[in-house]
Amino acid sequence: MTNVVVLNSQVHAKLRVHAQPSATLGDNQRFVAIVAGEFAVAALHYPLFFSKDADTGRFYCGAMLGFDANENLLLEEQRGQKIYRPLNLQRGPFYTSGADLAIDLEHARVASSGETALFDERGEASAYLKSVIDLMNDLKIGAERTKQFIDGLLQLKLIEPLSLNVNFDDGSRREITGLYTVNHDGLKALPDAQVLDLFRRGYLQLIYLQLASLSHVSTLARKKNLGFLGGDPSRPPRT
Amino acid sequence: MTHRIQSVVIVGGGTAGWLTAGIIAARHQGRMKTGFSVTLVESPNIPIIGVGEGTWPTLRSSLQKIGVSETEFFRNCNAAFKQGAKFARWTTGGADDAYYHPLMMPQGFTQVNLAPHWLANGAGRSFCETVTPQGQLCDDGLAPKMITTPEYQAVANYSYHLDAGKFAAFLQRHCTEKLHVRHVLADVDEVLQSEQGDIKSVRTRQAGEMAGDLFVDCTGSASVLLGKTLGVPFKPCSDVLFCDTAIALQVPYDSDDAPMASHTISTAQESGWIWDIGLPHRRGTGYVYSSRHTSDDQAQETLLRYLGSTHSHLTPRKIAIRNGHRSTFWKNNCVAVGIAAGFLEPLESSAIVLIELSAKLIAEQLPANREIMDIVSQRFNDVTQYRWGRIIDFLKLHYVLTQRKDTAFWRDNVDPATVPDRLKELLRLWKYRSPWFFDEFDRLEEVFPAASYQYVLYGMGFRTEVEAEDNLDSQGMATKMLRDNVALTRQMRAQLPKNRELINKIHEYGLQSI
Repeated sequence: MTNVVVLNSQVHAKLRVHAQPSATLGDNQRFVAIVAGEFAVAALHYPLFFSKDADTGRFYCGAMLGFDANENLLLEEQRGQKIYRPLNLQRGPFYTSGADLAIDLEHARVASSGETALFDERGEASAYLKSVIDLMNDLKIGAERTKQFIDGLLQLKLIEPLSLNVNFDDGSRREITGLYTVNHDGLKALPDAQVLDLFRRGYLQLIYLQLASLSHVSTLARKKNLGFLGGDPSRPPRT
Repeated sequence: MTHRIQSVVIVGGGTAGWLTAGIIAARHQGRMKTGFSVTLVESPNIPIIGVGEGTWPTLRSSLQKIGVSETEFFRNCNAAFKQGAKFARWTTGGADDAYYHPLMMPQGFTQVNLAPHWLANGAGRSFCETVTPQGQLCDDGLAPKMITTPEYQAVANYSYHLDAGKFAAFLQRHCTEKLHVRHVLADVDEVLQSEQGDIKSVRTRQAGEMAGDLFVDCTGSASVLLGKTLGVPFKPCSDVLFCDTAIALQVPYDSDDAPMASHTISTAQESGWIWDIGLPHRRGTGYVYSSRHTSDDQAQETLLRYLGSTHSHLTPRKIAIRNGHRSTFWKNNCVAVGIAAGFLEPLESSAIVLIELSAKLIAEQLPANREIMDIVSQRFNDVTQYRWGRIIDFLKLHYVLTQRKDTAFWRDNVDPATVPDRLKELLRLWKYRSPWFFDEFDRLEEVFPAASYQYVLYGMGFRTEVEAEDNLDSQGMATKMLRDNVALTRQMRAQLPKNRELINKIHEYGLQSI
């Protein structure tokens, strides 16, 4: 159940939320959509891929957080603010409705016990709410730029499917389909003029960030393997 | 001195003309720089017949090869999915009498023939349901793929239903804009021949004389080049296939979101059969009948009764059907494609697939020069003759297996004198062996593979004698494939969207190219 309404400083003056990363409040996602502006920070820790929206078939970019449904192997690091937390996790219960900020009142993060207020006593937006407004703006602008980036890659036939096969220490095996990556050979075969155009539009950097981020698949797999030894994969390994 | 084949002139611009132009031009793009050309001359005054709104899965690869986007094809041609055909009332004529001829092969078809296993143990379940999920998918009104499935790829094998008039216009744009096909709007007044009988040129009213090295006759039933000019006779097969008339009617849906079948529905009537094809915005229906067995008035009444009272104010369009084909298809430097080559009642949607196969053969085998053309044309004629023969056999199979005795039409259809010898022989053979790879099938690019014969034979209650011991060797594999089919059916039914829902999404979001 959702109940998305436009946020109003009078009606919602007392509203409080849980803003911290939490597996039970929506951070338990193995793949989270990200926008082009996040590539540089997200690629430091997550493998980035392209995938298709199940409803529209259209491509989007995302960061991989785990191998199984509802698995976020980096939750502890996100909680400790050791690594970047994707905007789509940070946004929590917030949406945009036209030019307005909206909130899902049925979202588990919205609760009177929440540690973070949206408005102060004078009805002014709290520092948290201001940061939400900024990040929702980044997401909105970022979505358009990301779409252009993807369309550009598709036109040049630079996106190709990739099938991930990962073996774990407990003997289990995951075959993850529905992921796509930049086709490096296709990129190398492009004429100079098109490469220069990709560079000028800032796409070449995004491309190399995505390609380089793939090495984090094995980092994530190691993390999952540690979980088999230590019990809870979301906890840091015991030393 | 050799006479190089550099200029292909196609006369006629329906589905046959434009599809042939596209297939030849796409295959020979590289030669365009060296003077090779494809020209299509089309009369501005002769309307397109627009037969055949059903196609075969071959059209997917044909469209892909000529560089068409499947999304654009769906949007511009009112295209919809086709997963096969449902034949109702063909066997007994009863209300519950129906079977599917789906486009998916039986599970594991290349490894094991499931037909004898079904014959031995399949009591109670239809052959189709036992060996493939596709009948179930059709029953459920599901699409054969998802919005995330790339263009031209399938979850369940499919072809299309389409609006033939729009299809020709769509191909025309693609051929002229992307494939460098020259389009000349002019009426052909005269065909000029050399002393050897080759066609030298066509003289047109609006564009003067147009010379060519190879002429493709796509002028429909007029067969202006092959028939009229080169005198190749038409060989009717009305002694085998009796239907000679069709009345067609396009009917709207009750509402914009009404369910849309993803298969052709073919319902047998007293003197023929009714087609029912779902396009996104309307249904195309028609009654194909034998005028020897019923009157036009009677036929119209039959069609309107089938459609129900809401459509009783509509008036169908009458179309003459001449089942048969030219005695040869490529003579001198002229080859006929489409209705100019022949026509068969659209019972198994063979019209467009024959265009594709012929065009592909011409494109692939295109002789380098006039000197070797007669070798190529001889081979083309052998293959094409064989294909027409097989299709006629296959269409007749639908009639000859009937148990209906209610009208003269059905009784006359099982008269042995009307059954081609080869089909008779196959039916005798199939009494003791079910059709599969090791028949003479699949020696060529078959229009209808052995699987199609299985679906029709066993869908219509035909029995092949099976000895249980013969099944022992392949029992393990058969058991596995039958289990796989159950699992696949469950998976596909859970995964696939409704047919109309997917079509709407393709219009809104498009399919991805990868």
